[in-house]
Amino acid sequence: MLSVKNIAKKLPDGRPLLKDISFEVKKGEFVGIIGESGVGKTVLLRCINGLTIPDTGEIIISSNNTHQKINGKKGKELRSLQRYIGMIFQGSNLVKRLSVIENVLTGRLGRINPLRSLFYGFTDEEVDTALNALEKVSIQHLAARRAETLSGGEMQRVAIARALFQEPQILLADEPIANLDPKNTELVLEHLLPLKKEMAIMGVFHSPQIVRDYCTRAIALKDGVVFYDGRPDISSSILEQIYGNEFAVQPVSVA
Amino acid sequence: MRLLKRYKTYILPSFIFLMLLWGSAIITQVELHTLFAGIPRGVNLLLSMFPPDLSVMPELLYPALETVQIAFVGTVLGICIALFVGMFAASNVNKNRILREITRGLLSAERALPDLIVLLFFVTIVGLGAFPGVMGLAFSSLGMLGKLFADAIEEIDPRPSEAIAAVGATRLQIIRFAILPQVWPSLIANSLFRFEINIRASIFLGVVGAGGIGFNLIMHMRQLEYQQAMSAILVILFMVVICERISDVLRKRIIGAEVLK
Repeated sequence: MLSVKNIAKKLPDGRPLLKDISFEVKKGEFVGIIGESGVGKTVLLRCINGLTIPDTGEIIISSNNTHQKINGKKGKELRSLQRYIGMIFQGSNLVKRLSVIENVLTGRLGRINPLRSLFYGFTDEEVDTALNALEKVSIQHLAARRAETLSGGEMQRVAIARALFQEPQILLADEPIANLDPKNTELVLEHLLPLKKEMAIMGVFHSPQIVRDYCTRAIALKDGVVFYDGRPDISSSILEQIYGNEFAVQPVSVA
Repeated sequence: MRLLKRYKTYILPSFIFLMLLWGSAIITQVELHTLFAGIPRGVNLLLSMFPPDLSVMPELLYPALETVQIAFVGTVLGICIALFVGMFAASNVNKNRILREITRGLLSAERALPDLIVLLFFVTIVGLGAFPGVMGLAFSSLGMLGKLFADAIEEIDPRPSEAIAAVGATRLQIIRFAILPQVWPSLIANSLFRFEINIRASIFLGVVGAGGIGFNLIMHMRQLEYQQAMSAILVILFMVVICERISDVLRKRIIGAEVLK
Protein backbone atom coordinates (compact mmCIF):
# COMPACT_ATOMS: atom_id res chain seq x y z
CA MET A 1 0.00 0.00 0.00
CA LEU A 2 2.75 2.43 0.96
CA SER A 3 6.43 1.86 0.42
CA VAL A 4 9.06 4.29 1.55
CA LYS A 5 12.42 3.59 -0.08
CA ASN A 6 15.71 5.14 0.99
CA ILE A 7 14.31 8.54 1.89
CA ALA A 8 16.85 11.23 2.76
CA LYS A 9 16.20 14.85 3.64
CA LYS A 10 18.59 17.60 4.69
CA LEU A 11 17.61 20.54 6.87
CA PRO A 12 17.82 24.01 5.29
CA ASP A 13 21.18 24.52 7.03
CA GLY A 14 22.58 21.42 5.31
CA ARG A 15 22.51 19.13 8.35
CA PRO A 16 21.16 15.71 7.36
CA LEU A 17 17.89 15.01 9.18
CA LEU A 18 16.69 11.80 7.51
CA LYS A 19 19.54 9.73 6.11
CA ASP A 20 18.11 6.50 4.81
CA ILE A 21 14.57 5.53 5.72
CA SER A 22 12.82 2.50 4.24
CA PHE A 23 9.71 0.58 5.28
CA GLU A 24 6.39 -0.66 3.98
CA VAL A 25 2.95 -0.25 5.46
CA LYS A 26 -0.12 -2.33 4.58
CA LYS A 27 -3.83 -1.90 5.07
CA GLY A 28 -4.90 -3.03 8.54
CA GLU A 29 -1.78 -1.72 10.20
CA PHE A 30 -1.65 1.07 12.73
CA VAL A 31 1.98 2.11 12.82
CA GLY A 32 3.23 4.25 15.66
CA ILE A 33 6.30 6.33 14.89
CA ILE A 34 8.42 7.29 17.86
CA GLY A 35 11.78 8.89 18.44
CA GLU A 36 13.45 11.81 20.16
CA SER A 37 12.18 15.36 19.53
CA GLY A 38 13.68 16.80 16.35
CA VAL A 39 14.56 13.40 14.92
CA GLY A 40 12.42 14.07 11.82
CA LYS A 41 9.14 12.25 12.51
CA THR A 42 6.97 15.10 11.26
CA VAL A 43 9.20 15.69 8.23
CA LEU A 44 8.86 12.01 7.34
CA LEU A 45 5.04 12.27 7.38
CA ARG A 46 5.16 15.47 5.33
CA CYS A 47 7.38 13.73 2.77
CA ILE A 48 4.85 10.90 2.46
CA ASN A 49 1.95 13.18 1.54
CA GLY A 50 3.97 15.49 -0.67
CA LEU A 51 3.96 18.63 1.51
CA THR A 52 7.75 18.32 1.77
CA ILE A 53 9.93 17.00 -1.02
CA PRO A 54 12.64 14.52 0.02
CA ASP A 55 16.16 15.01 -1.40
CA THR A 56 16.49 11.40 -2.51
CA GLY A 57 14.51 8.19 -2.34
CA GLU A 58 11.04 7.13 -3.40
CA ILE A 59 7.60 7.10 -1.87
CA ILE A 60 5.26 4.76 -3.70
CA ILE A 61 1.52 4.50 -3.23
CA SER A 62 0.03 1.24 -4.47
CA SER A 63 -3.61 0.52 -5.05
CA ASN A 64 -5.32 -2.02 -7.31
CA ASN A 65 -1.97 -3.16 -8.70
CA THR A 66 -0.96 0.32 -9.80
CA HIS A 67 2.14 1.80 -8.27
CA GLN A 68 2.61 5.53 -8.26
CA LYS A 69 5.54 7.54 -7.02
CA ILE A 70 4.48 10.62 -5.09
CA ASN A 71 7.76 12.48 -4.82
CA GLY A 72 8.81 14.37 -7.90
CA LYS A 73 5.18 14.88 -8.90
CA LYS A 74 3.82 18.39 -9.21
CA GLY A 75 0.56 20.25 -9.71
CA LYS A 76 -2.34 18.16 -10.94
CA GLU A 77 -0.50 14.83 -10.75
CA LEU A 78 0.53 15.46 -7.14
CA ARG A 79 -2.97 16.57 -6.17
CA SER A 80 -4.54 13.48 -7.69
CA LEU A 81 -2.30 11.33 -5.45
CA GLN A 82 -2.77 13.47 -2.34
CA ARG A 83 -6.47 12.71 -2.33
CA TYR A 84 -5.60 9.12 -1.32
CA ILE A 85 -3.63 10.31 1.69
CA GLY A 86 -5.44 11.76 4.68
CA MET A 87 -3.59 13.90 7.17
CA ILE A 88 -4.44 14.81 10.75
CA PHE A 89 -2.30 17.61 12.09
CA GLN A 90 -1.08 18.27 15.59
CA GLY A 91 -3.23 21.40 16.00
CA SER A 92 -6.11 19.95 13.94
CA ASN A 93 -5.68 22.95 11.54
CA LEU A 94 -9.36 23.51 10.95
CA VAL A 95 -10.57 26.67 9.23
CA LYS A 96 -11.82 28.22 12.46
CA ARG A 97 -14.36 30.54 10.91
CA LEU A 98 -16.12 27.85 8.89
CA SER A 99 -18.72 25.57 10.43
CA VAL A 100 -17.87 22.03 11.50
CA ILE A 101 -19.68 20.44 8.55
CA GLU A 102 -17.96 22.79 6.10
CA ASN A 103 -14.61 21.79 7.53
CA VAL A 104 -15.47 18.14 7.00
CA LEU A 105 -16.61 18.84 3.43
CA THR A 106 -13.21 20.34 2.55
CA GLY A 107 -11.83 16.80 2.87
CA ARG A 108 -12.99 16.02 -0.66
CA LEU A 109 -11.83 19.18 -2.40
CA GLY A 110 -9.14 17.16 -4.16
CA ARG A 111 -11.74 14.97 -5.78
CA ILE A 112 -14.68 17.10 -6.81
CA ASN A 113 -14.87 19.46 -9.74
CA PRO A 114 -13.01 22.65 -8.69
CA LEU A 115 -15.56 24.92 -10.37
CA ARG A 116 -18.43 23.27 -8.51
CA SER A 117 -16.66 23.56 -5.17
CA LEU A 118 -15.91 27.27 -5.69
CA PHE A 119 -19.63 27.94 -5.85
CA TYR A 120 -20.22 25.74 -2.85
CA GLY A 121 -21.97 23.04 -4.84
CA PHE A 122 -21.68 20.13 -2.46
CA THR A 123 -24.34 17.54 -3.25
CA ASP A 124 -26.87 16.31 -0.69
CA GLU A 125 -25.19 12.93 -0.82
CA GLU A 126 -21.84 14.48 0.04
CA VAL A 127 -23.37 16.38 2.94
CA ASP A 128 -24.99 13.14 4.21
CA THR A 129 -21.68 11.30 3.99
CA ALA A 130 -19.99 14.15 5.84
CA LEU A 131 -22.63 13.95 8.57
CA ASN A 132 -22.01 10.21 8.78
CA ALA A 133 -18.31 10.89 9.25
CA LEU A 134 -19.17 13.22 12.13
CA GLU A 135 -21.44 10.55 13.59
CA LYS A 136 -18.56 8.06 13.58
CA VAL A 137 -16.61 10.36 15.88
CA SER A 138 -19.79 11.07 17.94
CA ILE A 139 -20.01 14.81 17.30
CA GLN A 140 -22.80 15.01 14.70
CA HIS A 141 -24.67 17.37 17.08
CA LEU A 142 -21.92 19.96 16.56
CA ALA A 143 -22.25 20.03 12.75
CA ALA A 144 -23.65 23.56 12.52
CA ARG A 145 -21.30 25.06 15.09
CA ARG A 146 -18.45 27.29 14.07
CA ALA A 147 -15.14 25.41 14.42
CA GLU A 148 -13.58 28.08 16.66
CA THR A 149 -16.18 27.43 19.37
CA LEU A 150 -15.06 23.81 19.85
CA SER A 151 -12.70 22.40 22.47
CA GLY A 152 -9.32 20.98 21.45
CA GLY A 153 -10.57 17.39 21.66
CA GLU A 154 -13.68 18.17 19.59
CA MET A 155 -11.57 19.95 16.96
CA GLN A 156 -9.30 16.95 16.67
CA ARG A 157 -12.35 14.72 16.17
CA VAL A 158 -13.55 17.06 13.40
CA ALA A 159 -10.13 16.63 11.80
CA ILE A 160 -10.59 12.86 11.95
CA ALA A 161 -14.06 13.20 10.39
CA ARG A 162 -12.53 15.33 7.61
CA ALA A 163 -9.96 12.62 6.95
CA LEU A 164 -12.73 9.95 7.05
CA PHE A 165 -14.84 11.88 4.56
CA GLN A 166 -11.82 12.11 2.27
CA GLU A 167 -11.86 8.26 2.19
CA PRO A 168 -8.09 7.93 1.98
CA GLN A 169 -6.12 4.70 1.67
CA ILE A 170 -3.42 5.96 3.95
CA LEU A 171 -4.07 8.08 7.03
CA LEU A 172 -1.20 10.07 8.51
CA ALA A 173 -1.57 11.54 11.98
CA ASP A 174 1.05 13.99 13.25
CA GLU A 175 0.92 13.92 17.05
CA PRO A 176 -2.89 13.82 17.00
CA ILE A 177 -3.11 13.67 20.79
CA ALA A 178 -0.56 16.30 21.73
CA ASN A 179 -2.17 19.06 23.84
CA LEU A 180 -5.15 16.86 24.76
CA ASP A 181 -6.14 15.81 28.26
CA PRO A 182 -6.17 12.06 29.10
CA LYS A 183 -9.93 11.69 28.51
CA ASN A 184 -9.81 13.30 25.05
CA THR A 185 -6.62 11.40 24.23
CA GLU A 186 -8.48 8.16 24.81
CA LEU A 187 -11.52 9.34 22.83
CA VAL A 188 -9.46 10.37 19.80
CA LEU A 189 -7.49 7.12 19.82
CA GLU A 190 -10.68 5.05 20.20
CA HIS A 191 -12.01 6.72 17.08
CA LEU A 192 -8.79 6.27 15.13
CA LEU A 193 -8.36 2.60 15.99
CA PRO A 194 -11.24 1.04 14.00
CA LEU A 195 -10.18 2.90 10.85
CA LYS A 196 -7.32 0.48 10.29
CA LYS A 197 -9.85 -1.94 8.82
CA GLU A 198 -10.29 0.38 5.84
CA MET A 199 -6.87 1.99 5.51
CA ALA A 200 -3.26 2.02 6.60
CA ILE A 201 -2.65 4.37 9.52
CA MET A 202 0.62 5.95 10.55
CA GLY A 203 0.79 8.12 13.64
CA VAL A 204 3.56 10.08 15.30
CA PHE A 205 3.38 9.71 19.07
CA HIS A 206 5.41 11.04 21.94
CA SER A 207 4.58 8.29 24.33
CA PRO A 208 5.73 4.67 23.86
CA GLN A 209 2.91 3.61 26.20
CA ILE A 210 0.31 4.88 23.71
CA VAL A 211 2.04 3.01 20.89
CA ARG A 212 2.12 -0.17 22.98
CA ASP A 213 -1.59 0.10 23.88
CA TYR A 214 -3.05 1.07 20.51
CA CYS A 215 -0.67 0.40 17.60
CA THR A 216 -0.07 -2.85 15.76
CA ARG A 217 3.51 -1.99 14.97
CA ALA A 218 6.16 0.49 16.06
CA ILE A 219 8.83 2.26 14.04
CA ALA A 220 11.50 4.17 15.92
CA LEU A 221 13.71 6.74 14.25
CA LYS A 222 17.17 7.55 15.51
CA ASP A 223 20.03 9.45 13.87
CA GLY A 224 18.15 9.63 10.58
CA VAL A 225 17.55 5.91 10.14
CA VAL A 226 14.95 3.33 11.19
CA PHE A 227 16.38 2.15 14.50
CA TYR A 228 13.58 -0.23 15.40
CA ASP A 229 10.76 -1.72 13.34
CA GLY A 230 8.58 -4.36 14.92
CA ARG A 231 6.15 -5.25 17.69
CA PRO A 232 4.68 -2.27 19.56
CA ASP A 233 5.59 -3.57 23.00
CA ILE A 234 9.19 -2.41 22.93
CA SER A 235 11.43 -3.59 25.74
CA SER A 236 12.64 -0.91 28.11
CA SER A 237 16.28 -1.49 27.22
CA ILE A 238 15.57 -0.69 23.56
CA LEU A 239 13.45 2.32 24.58
CA GLU A 240 16.39 3.66 26.53
CA GLN A 241 18.52 3.39 23.42
CA ILE A 242 15.85 5.15 21.34
CA TYR A 243 15.38 8.06 23.68
CA GLY A 244 18.80 8.14 25.29
CA ASN A 245 18.79 9.98 28.58
CA GLU A 246 15.65 11.86 27.62
CA PHE A 247 13.55 8.76 28.34
CA ALA A 248 14.47 8.78 32.01
CA VAL A 249 12.93 12.21 32.63
CA GLN A 250 10.08 12.12 30.08
CA PRO A 251 6.63 11.99 31.68
CA VAL A 252 3.82 9.97 30.15
CA SER A 253 2.27 11.22 26.90
CA VAL A 254 2.69 14.94 27.55
CA ALA A 255 3.82 16.92 24.50
CA MET B 1 29.07 72.18 28.32
CA ARG B 2 25.70 71.34 29.75
CA LEU B 3 24.25 74.57 28.49
CA LEU B 4 25.67 73.89 25.03
CA LYS B 5 24.00 70.47 24.98
CA ARG B 6 20.68 71.95 25.97
CA TYR B 7 21.09 74.59 23.31
CA LYS B 8 21.67 71.93 20.67
CA THR B 9 18.87 69.56 21.68
CA TYR B 10 16.09 71.99 22.57
CA ILE B 11 16.69 75.67 22.02
CA LEU B 12 18.01 75.71 18.46
CA PRO B 13 15.37 73.28 17.04
CA SER B 14 12.59 75.21 18.81
CA PHE B 15 13.87 78.46 17.32
CA ILE B 16 14.01 76.98 13.80
CA PHE B 17 10.52 75.53 14.18
CA LEU B 18 9.05 78.83 15.36
CA MET B 19 10.75 80.75 12.51
CA LEU B 20 9.34 78.31 9.95
CA LEU B 21 5.86 78.57 11.45
CA TRP B 22 6.03 82.38 11.52
CA GLY B 23 7.27 82.59 7.92
CA SER B 24 4.58 80.22 6.67
CA ALA B 25 1.86 82.10 8.54
CA ILE B 26 2.92 85.38 6.91
CA ILE B 27 3.00 83.89 3.44
CA THR B 28 -0.39 82.18 3.85
CA GLN B 29 -1.82 85.46 5.22
CA VAL B 30 -3.02 84.07 8.51
CA GLU B 31 -4.24 87.29 10.12
CA LEU B 32 -6.60 87.13 13.03
CA HIS B 33 -8.05 90.58 12.36
CA THR B 34 -9.08 89.48 8.83
CA LEU B 35 -10.89 86.54 10.39
CA PHE B 36 -12.67 88.71 12.93
CA ALA B 37 -13.50 91.37 10.36
CA GLY B 38 -15.05 88.65 8.18
CA ILE B 39 -17.44 87.41 10.88
CA PRO B 40 -20.30 89.80 9.93
CA ARG B 41 -19.99 88.66 6.31
CA GLY B 42 -20.16 85.03 7.40
CA VAL B 43 -23.22 85.70 9.53
CA ASN B 44 -24.81 87.49 6.57
CA LEU B 45 -24.14 84.52 4.30
CA LEU B 46 -25.68 82.12 6.82
CA LEU B 47 -28.71 84.42 7.29
CA SER B 48 -29.21 84.67 3.54
CA MET B 49 -29.33 80.87 3.43
CA PHE B 50 -32.37 80.77 5.69
CA PRO B 51 -35.01 79.74 5.26
CA PRO B 52 -33.77 77.07 2.83
CA ASP B 53 -35.72 77.03 -0.42
CA LEU B 54 -37.27 73.58 -0.26
CA SER B 55 -38.98 74.00 -3.63
CA VAL B 56 -35.76 72.83 -5.34
CA MET B 57 -35.81 69.54 -3.42
CA PRO B 58 -37.41 67.50 -6.25
CA GLU B 59 -34.62 68.43 -8.64
CA LEU B 60 -31.98 67.60 -6.00
CA LEU B 61 -33.22 64.06 -5.45
CA TYR B 62 -31.90 62.57 -8.65
CA PRO B 63 -28.40 64.10 -8.29
CA ALA B 64 -28.32 62.93 -4.66
CA LEU B 65 -29.15 59.42 -5.77
CA GLU B 66 -26.52 59.69 -8.47
CA THR B 67 -23.88 60.67 -5.89
CA VAL B 68 -24.69 57.57 -3.82
CA GLN B 69 -24.68 55.40 -6.93
CA ILE B 70 -21.29 56.73 -8.04
CA ALA B 71 -19.90 55.90 -4.58
CA PHE B 72 -21.61 52.49 -4.54
CA VAL B 73 -20.51 51.31 -7.98
CA GLY B 74 -17.04 52.84 -7.54
CA THR B 75 -16.53 51.11 -4.19
CA VAL B 76 -17.75 47.70 -5.39
CA LEU B 77 -15.62 47.89 -8.52
CA GLY B 78 -12.65 48.92 -6.37
CA ILE B 79 -13.25 46.01 -3.96
CA CYS B 80 -13.37 43.48 -6.82
CA ILE B 81 -10.12 44.67 -8.36
CA ALA B 82 -8.51 45.10 -4.94
CA LEU B 83 -9.32 41.49 -3.99
CA PHE B 84 -7.64 40.23 -7.12
CA VAL B 85 -4.66 42.57 -6.84
CA GLY B 86 -4.44 41.95 -3.07
CA MET B 87 -3.85 38.25 -3.74
CA PHE B 88 -0.94 39.17 -6.02
CA ALA B 89 0.52 41.42 -3.32
CA ALA B 90 0.27 38.82 -0.51
CA SER B 91 3.40 36.75 0.03
CA ASN B 92 1.50 33.65 1.14
CA VAL B 93 -0.56 33.51 -2.07
CA ASN B 94 1.87 34.85 -4.66
CA LYS B 95 5.25 33.19 -4.21
CA ASN B 96 6.83 35.20 -7.04
CA ARG B 97 8.72 37.93 -5.20
CA ILE B 98 9.33 40.21 -8.20
CA LEU B 99 5.69 40.19 -9.27
CA ARG B 100 4.67 40.82 -5.66
CA GLU B 101 7.00 43.79 -5.20
CA ILE B 102 5.83 45.30 -8.49
CA THR B 103 2.18 44.96 -7.39
CA ARG B 104 2.92 46.49 -3.98
CA GLY B 105 4.85 49.31 -5.66
CA LEU B 106 1.99 50.11 -8.03
CA LEU B 107 -0.49 50.12 -5.15
CA SER B 108 1.61 52.52 -3.10
CA ALA B 109 2.16 54.72 -6.17
CA GLU B 110 -1.61 54.90 -6.56
CA ARG B 111 -2.01 55.92 -2.92
CA ALA B 112 0.54 58.70 -3.40
CA LEU B 113 -1.48 60.04 -6.33
CA PRO B 114 -4.07 62.71 -5.31
CA ASP B 115 -7.66 61.66 -6.13
CA LEU B 116 -8.13 64.82 -8.17
CA ILE B 117 -5.38 63.82 -10.62
CA VAL B 118 -6.88 60.34 -10.95
CA LEU B 119 -10.27 61.91 -11.71
CA LEU B 120 -8.83 64.35 -14.27
CA PHE B 121 -7.11 61.40 -15.94
CA PHE B 122 -10.40 59.52 -16.32
CA VAL B 123 -12.22 62.66 -17.44
CA THR B 124 -9.67 62.89 -20.26
CA ILE B 125 -10.33 59.27 -21.21
CA VAL B 126 -14.13 58.99 -20.98
CA GLY B 127 -15.31 62.60 -20.82
CA LEU B 128 -17.30 64.44 -18.14
CA GLY B 129 -20.12 62.86 -16.13
CA ALA B 130 -20.72 60.12 -13.58
CA PHE B 131 -18.64 57.46 -15.31
CA PRO B 132 -15.22 59.08 -14.78
CA GLY B 133 -16.34 59.63 -11.16
CA VAL B 134 -17.00 55.90 -10.75
CA MET B 135 -13.65 55.02 -12.32
CA GLY B 136 -11.83 57.59 -10.22
CA LEU B 137 -13.32 56.25 -6.97
CA ALA B 138 -12.71 52.63 -7.98
CA PHE B 139 -9.10 53.43 -8.72
CA SER B 140 -8.43 55.35 -5.52
CA SER B 141 -10.20 52.62 -3.48
CA LEU B 142 -7.95 50.07 -5.14
CA GLY B 143 -4.79 51.68 -3.77
CA MET B 144 -6.00 51.56 -0.18
CA LEU B 145 -8.04 48.33 -0.18
CA GLY B 146 -5.48 46.39 -2.23
CA LYS B 147 -2.85 47.01 0.42
CA LEU B 148 -5.20 46.38 3.36
CA PHE B 149 -6.49 43.13 1.81
CA ALA B 150 -2.93 41.97 1.08
CA ASP B 151 -1.87 42.70 4.67
CA ALA B 152 -4.92 40.89 6.05
CA ILE B 153 -4.18 37.86 3.85
CA GLU B 154 -0.56 37.79 4.99
CA GLU B 155 -1.61 37.78 8.64
CA ILE B 156 -3.76 34.64 8.51
CA ASP B 157 -2.84 31.34 10.13
CA PRO B 158 -1.05 29.32 7.40
CA ARG B 159 -1.88 25.92 8.91
CA PRO B 160 -5.52 25.58 7.72
CA SER B 161 -4.37 26.39 4.17
CA GLU B 162 -1.79 23.65 4.43
CA ALA B 163 -4.35 21.17 5.73
CA ILE B 164 -6.58 21.91 2.74
CA ALA B 165 -3.64 21.74 0.34
CA ALA B 166 -2.84 18.32 1.82
CA VAL B 167 -6.11 16.78 0.55
CA GLY B 168 -5.12 17.73 -3.00
CA ALA B 169 -7.03 21.01 -3.32
CA THR B 170 -6.19 23.53 -6.06
CA ARG B 171 -4.88 27.03 -5.39
CA LEU B 172 -8.33 28.53 -6.04
CA GLN B 173 -9.96 26.07 -3.64
CA ILE B 174 -7.44 26.98 -0.95
CA ILE B 175 -8.27 30.66 -1.45
CA ARG B 176 -11.99 29.92 -1.36
CA PHE B 177 -12.06 27.62 1.70
CA ALA B 178 -9.09 28.63 3.84
CA ILE B 179 -8.05 32.18 2.99
CA LEU B 180 -11.30 34.05 2.28
CA PRO B 181 -13.13 32.79 5.40
CA GLN B 182 -10.22 33.98 7.53
CA VAL B 183 -9.97 37.48 6.03
CA TRP B 184 -13.75 37.99 5.72
CA PRO B 185 -14.24 40.29 8.78
CA SER B 186 -11.40 42.64 7.89
CA LEU B 187 -12.50 42.58 4.26
CA ILE B 188 -16.01 43.69 5.21
CA ALA B 189 -14.82 46.29 7.73
CA ASN B 190 -12.34 47.88 5.33
CA SER B 191 -14.80 47.86 2.43
CA LEU B 192 -17.53 49.58 4.46
CA PHE B 193 -15.03 52.13 5.76
CA ARG B 194 -13.96 52.84 2.17
CA PHE B 195 -17.62 53.21 1.15
CA GLU B 196 -18.03 55.95 3.78
CA ILE B 197 -14.94 57.73 2.46
CA ASN B 198 -16.22 57.37 -1.11
CA ILE B 199 -19.61 58.96 -0.29
CA ARG B 200 -17.79 62.15 0.78
CA ALA B 201 -15.39 61.92 -2.14
CA SER B 202 -18.32 61.48 -4.50
CA ILE B 203 -19.86 64.79 -3.32
CA PHE B 204 -16.53 66.49 -3.93
CA LEU B 205 -16.30 64.89 -7.39
CA GLY B 206 -19.58 66.61 -8.28
CA VAL B 207 -18.05 69.96 -7.36
CA VAL B 208 -15.24 69.42 -9.88
CA GLY B 209 -17.65 68.23 -12.56
CA ALA B 210 -18.28 64.50 -12.26
CA GLY B 211 -22.04 64.73 -11.79
CA GLY B 212 -24.09 64.24 -8.64
CA ILE B 213 -25.28 66.64 -5.97
CA GLY B 214 -21.92 68.37 -5.53
CA PHE B 215 -22.50 69.95 -8.93
CA ASN B 216 -25.90 71.37 -7.85
CA LEU B 217 -24.35 72.77 -4.69
CA ILE B 218 -21.56 74.60 -6.49
CA MET B 219 -23.91 75.93 -9.20
CA HIS B 220 -26.33 77.39 -6.64
CA MET B 221 -23.42 78.95 -4.73
CA ARG B 222 -21.96 80.51 -7.89
CA GLN B 223 -25.32 81.92 -8.89
CA LEU B 224 -25.65 83.37 -5.37
CA GLU B 225 -28.80 81.29 -4.78
CA TYR B 226 -27.96 80.71 -1.14
CA GLN B 227 -31.39 79.44 -0.05
CA GLN B 228 -31.29 76.78 -2.76
CA ALA B 229 -27.67 75.97 -1.82
CA MET B 230 -28.82 75.42 1.76
CA SER B 231 -31.32 72.83 0.53
CA ALA B 232 -28.49 71.03 -1.24
CA ILE B 233 -26.42 71.10 1.97
CA LEU B 234 -29.35 69.64 3.93
CA VAL B 235 -29.75 66.85 1.38
CA ILE B 236 -26.00 66.11 1.57
CA LEU B 237 -26.03 65.98 5.37
CA PHE B 238 -29.05 63.69 5.36
CA MET B 239 -27.45 61.46 2.70
CA VAL B 240 -24.14 61.11 4.55
CA VAL B 241 -25.83 60.32 7.86
CA ILE B 242 -28.11 57.71 6.27
CA CYS B 243 -25.22 56.02 4.45
CA GLU B 244 -23.14 55.86 7.62
CA ARG B 245 -26.08 54.36 9.50
CA ILE B 246 -26.53 51.70 6.80
CA SER B 247 -22.83 50.99 6.91
CA ASP B 248 -22.93 50.69 10.73
CA VAL B 249 -25.87 48.31 10.62
CA LEU B 250 -24.17 46.13 7.99
CA ARG B 251 -20.94 46.09 10.00
CA LYS B 252 -22.75 44.98 13.14
CA ARG B 253 -24.81 42.43 11.25
CA ILE B 254 -21.86 40.84 9.50
CA ILE B 255 -18.99 41.23 11.94
CA GLY B 256 -20.54 42.11 15.28
CA ALA B 257 -22.69 38.99 15.35
CA GLU B 258 -19.64 36.82 14.84
CA VAL B 259 -17.79 38.34 17.73
CA LEU B 260 -20.71 37.54 20.02
CA LYS B 261 -20.97 33.91 18.96
